[in-house]
Amino acid sequence: MSAVISDSRKSPNSSVKGLYQNLTRRYLRRTKFKIGLVITLVVLVLALVSPWVVPYPDEGAGYVPPEASQREKEPPSLRFFFGTDTRGRDLFSRVIMGVRSAVIQITTVISLSLLIGLLAGVLAAYFKGVVEIILNYLVELFISIPAVIIALVLRLALGPGLMTVIASLVTTWWSWYARITYVYARSVMEMDYVTLARLSGLSPLKIMTRHVMRNVLTPVLVQAVTDMGSVLLEASTINFLGLGLPLNSPEWGVIMLEGLSVLEIAPWISAYPGFFLLVTALGFSLVGDTLREEIDPRLRRRWRLWF
Amino acid sequence: MPLSLNYLTKRIVWIFLVIIGVVVFSYTAIIISPGDPAVKWAGNPRGPNASLAIELARKELGLDKPPLIQVLKFVADVFTGNIGLSIAYKIPVFEVILRRLVATLELLLISYLIAIPLGVFLGIESALHRNGKLDTFLQSLGTVLANTPTFWVGAWLFLTLILLGAYPYGRVDPKIATATGFHPITGFYLIDALVEGNLIVFVNILSKIISPAIAIAIYPIGVLVRLTRALVSDALLEDYIRASVAWGVSRSVIIWRYALKAITPGLVQVIGLAFSYSLVDAMAVEYVVFGREGLGSLLIDSLNYGDFRLAVGLIIIVAVFYLLVNTLTDIIQALIDPKVRL
Amino acid sequence: MVLAVRARNLRVGYVDEDENILWAVKGVSFEVNQGEVFCLVGESGCGKSTIGNTIIGILPPYAVTDGELHVFGKPVVRGNHRDYSGIRGRIVSYVPQNPGTSLNPYQTIGTQLYYVLNSVYGWDKKKSLEVAKKYLSLVELDPEETVDRYPHELSGGMQQRAAIAIALSTGAKIVVADEPTSALDAHLRLQLIKLLMKLKESESLTLVMITHDLVAAGKICDSVAVVYAGEILEKCSGSNVIVEPLHPYTQMLADAVPLLGFKRRLKSIPGEPPRPDEEVTGCVFAPRCHLAFEKCVEPPPHFKVYKGEVACWRYAGNAKQ
Repeated sequence: MSAVISDSRKSPNSSVKGLYQNLTRRYLRRTKFKIGLVITLVVLVLALVSPWVVPYPDEGAGYVPPEASQREKEPPSLRFFFGTDTRGRDLFSRVIMGVRSAVIQITTVISLSLLIGLLAGVLAAYFKGVVEIILNYLVELFISIPAVIIALVLRLALGPGLMTVIASLVTTWWSWYARITYVYARSVMEMDYVTLARLSGLSPLKIMTRHVMRNVLTPVLVQAVTDMGSVLLEASTINFLGLGLPLNSPEWGVIMLEGLSVLEIAPWISAYPGFFLLVTALGFSLVGDTLREEIDPRLRRRWRLWF
Repeated sequence: MPLSLNYLTKRIVWIFLVIIGVVVFSYTAIIISPGDPAVKWAGNPRGPNASLAIELARKELGLDKPPLIQVLKFVADVFTGNIGLSIAYKIPVFEVILRRLVATLELLLISYLIAIPLGVFLGIESALHRNGKLDTFLQSLGTVLANTPTFWVGAWLFLTLILLGAYPYGRVDPKIATATGFHPITGFYLIDALVEGNLIVFVNILSKIISPAIAIAIYPIGVLVRLTRALVSDALLEDYIRASVAWGVSRSVIIWRYALKAITPGLVQVIGLAFSYSLVDAMAVEYVVFGREGLGSLLIDSLNYGDFRLAVGLIIIVAVFYLLVNTLTDIIQALIDPKVRL
Repeated sequence: MVLAVRARNLRVGYVDEDENILWAVKGVSFEVNQGEVFCLVGESGCGKSTIGNTIIGILPPYAVTDGELHVFGKPVVRGNHRDYSGIRGRIVSYVPQNPGTSLNPYQTIGTQLYYVLNSVYGWDKKKSLEVAKKYLSLVELDPEETVDRYPHELSGGMQQRAAIAIALSTGAKIVVADEPTSALDAHLRLQLIKLLMKLKESESLTLVMITHDLVAAGKICDSVAVVYAGEILEKCSGSNVIVEPLHPYTQMLADAVPLLGFKRRLKSIPGEPPRPDEEVTGCVFAPRCHLAFEKCVEPPPHFKVYKGEVACWRYAGNAKQ
């Protein structure tokens, strides 16, 4: 409890939405952020370089070499760090290459959802009337349906594959961002200078979009970072149920499914991918949490039970 | 009751609109996706009666009519309960779903019966010792728990039980059930066993429900520990708390009565959201890991049999479930907060 | 005779997000006798509410203190250590500024009174209800009606009376009223002050009033302390403070208040009080004082004048320190 006793001037950064100020100094002070950042960076790096880093890249991708049948379901060893899976492939390679699959799924889903959501929110506020009603209805509709169920319907309609996973997740997630954007855009529409622009014949859409984006982008992005963990978990659930990527794919949910049938004799097959899922989702969560706390300065005040 | 007829009417209308939306979505999905929709609707049949089934499916989908009529007809069919027979089960779809829904619901309720008291209690303790060691530990634990994949924990629990010699499959041991003459009425096995006075079966059912319940409870516990701590910390800074402290109200009353009551509306809202999320978690883990019958088994069967009708039924039920939970949390909030009138 | 409240060099500060302390109260000393009405007067943000909160014991968790504060002889604040056990409710009570937010919105008035009385005296529901009704009628509220009402169902004036009822029901002998009329409409203010005075007599209370209204303070208070930027500039009796203000600031406060029946030009006080984090050397009021002179660059000590106490160099000559 070493407080600096002084009558100093207040530091200029505390109250402003100072997400971008003193980036390194403030964030690196927090253990939470450091752990999250390390995890996230490792994940991103692995996503890029995994095929060149793992000992058995083709097995990682799903290929079953002929000699693999000799070494099915082997426990972890020096040769195969995580052991081998049900077809004899190196589990370590599969799991590490699963990082790439995870990152691809997350980034695609989040960026598409952001795009569609932001667009929808702005359009609904700008055009009002029928467009507004329809978009609001769609938002409320899709916000209340879980991605897994949509995945079932899409799986039966479209068949297995990455498309199904991404489509189901985007169908749910866009509505969250649309809602946030819409609420904010609506208040922007009321602003005087938008009305003024409209009266003087300028396109208020451009102005509104720019203004909305400038202000809503930060909280929405922070939300998106925090959402990455949840998206990952939902995506892997979809794959775990066999609704998305097919068996033998380098995807954590899929590997866990494969390992279920041999859980008693080869628990490592399901153990490792799940662990990686936890750690990756945790990493994104920690980063997102820290960002959110920085936006809300109230949370940082000293607190103690005072009575 | 703090409800108005207006509110209820709006809710019911909204549920209808959602069902329509969901059905239109499914219909669109099957129509515009590559491949013959009739084949998919018929469940990819093979064998001698295949073409007959496909023709029937074509009529049911109304593919011979113009698009708008198709959609309307389909929606109307759904509302009259006429999605046809489930391909997997050969009985009407909604009958199948409702039977299994109870099983998943039972699991969810037991799970939240564990998660809510535990999560809230730990959250309060965390807030009271804020910035101390207990708080840091609990908050870190909470974050980890909230990010743990349920089916992973489920797999571990399952494995542990197997290694210990227990048999965590299914909802009840069939041998014990037949031996003790167990006849479930409601579908909530725990209640049915108690009603029958059948303690042996009750213990058996309980032992089988505990592990998946714990696996599902992991996520809400994590969420609640963090949420409660934040809500309590905020609540304790409110004006009326300060005034009450000034008037001499004791610490335990302030925390366990005033603060707890104050955070309940916020808690209930989040619990509702988490509960809906856990439905999917439960579906993922109950059948695939624990071999229990429920909505999860329906999901897998729908997948394996290409049973699109079942899928449509499922999506309707899940959407309605979400809405009902949402409505329930609204009502609970109105009951607690005298200023809220629906 | 034990003093009701005694403060010696009391300092109270708040710690901000970057662990810096901002002192809101910069060393005040005063005494409150039993049975008197004591007023803390000053502009918004001068620290008077903080002093009040320190007496009551509801400083926020990010507060730090220094100096001493005694309530009926018991040291409640000593350095940065605060101990209010046995004080809250039982000895010191509180009439809040904003009754709307100070009453528990989730409970009826009756239930709130029950919890207070149960915590302080251990009474059960029946006894608490009896006592509750007695105090509600004391503040001129209908006991049967009010007991079952939620705060939001009462008007502002009724809420404030209910708050007073709760405050008094604890049997406290010292009541700190923090701007009790500021949340009320003008026509209710006089009523409320009259009520407080009546209760003070009937319940033999010591009343500490925090207000920004100098004239009201002068009318009802036995002694007044004028607070500015965390310091007490003047202490004197209530009747004297408007008629013969000692400190230039008090004089300017008095001049700024319209008096009914007097047609005179109102003078507002130029400038603004210093911010809590601003460094102040010398007399804290000097920058705005039209009577400031060279000596004012040093902080003035408190000079005892025959009518009271004042912290102003102008009194250096004809006073004992």
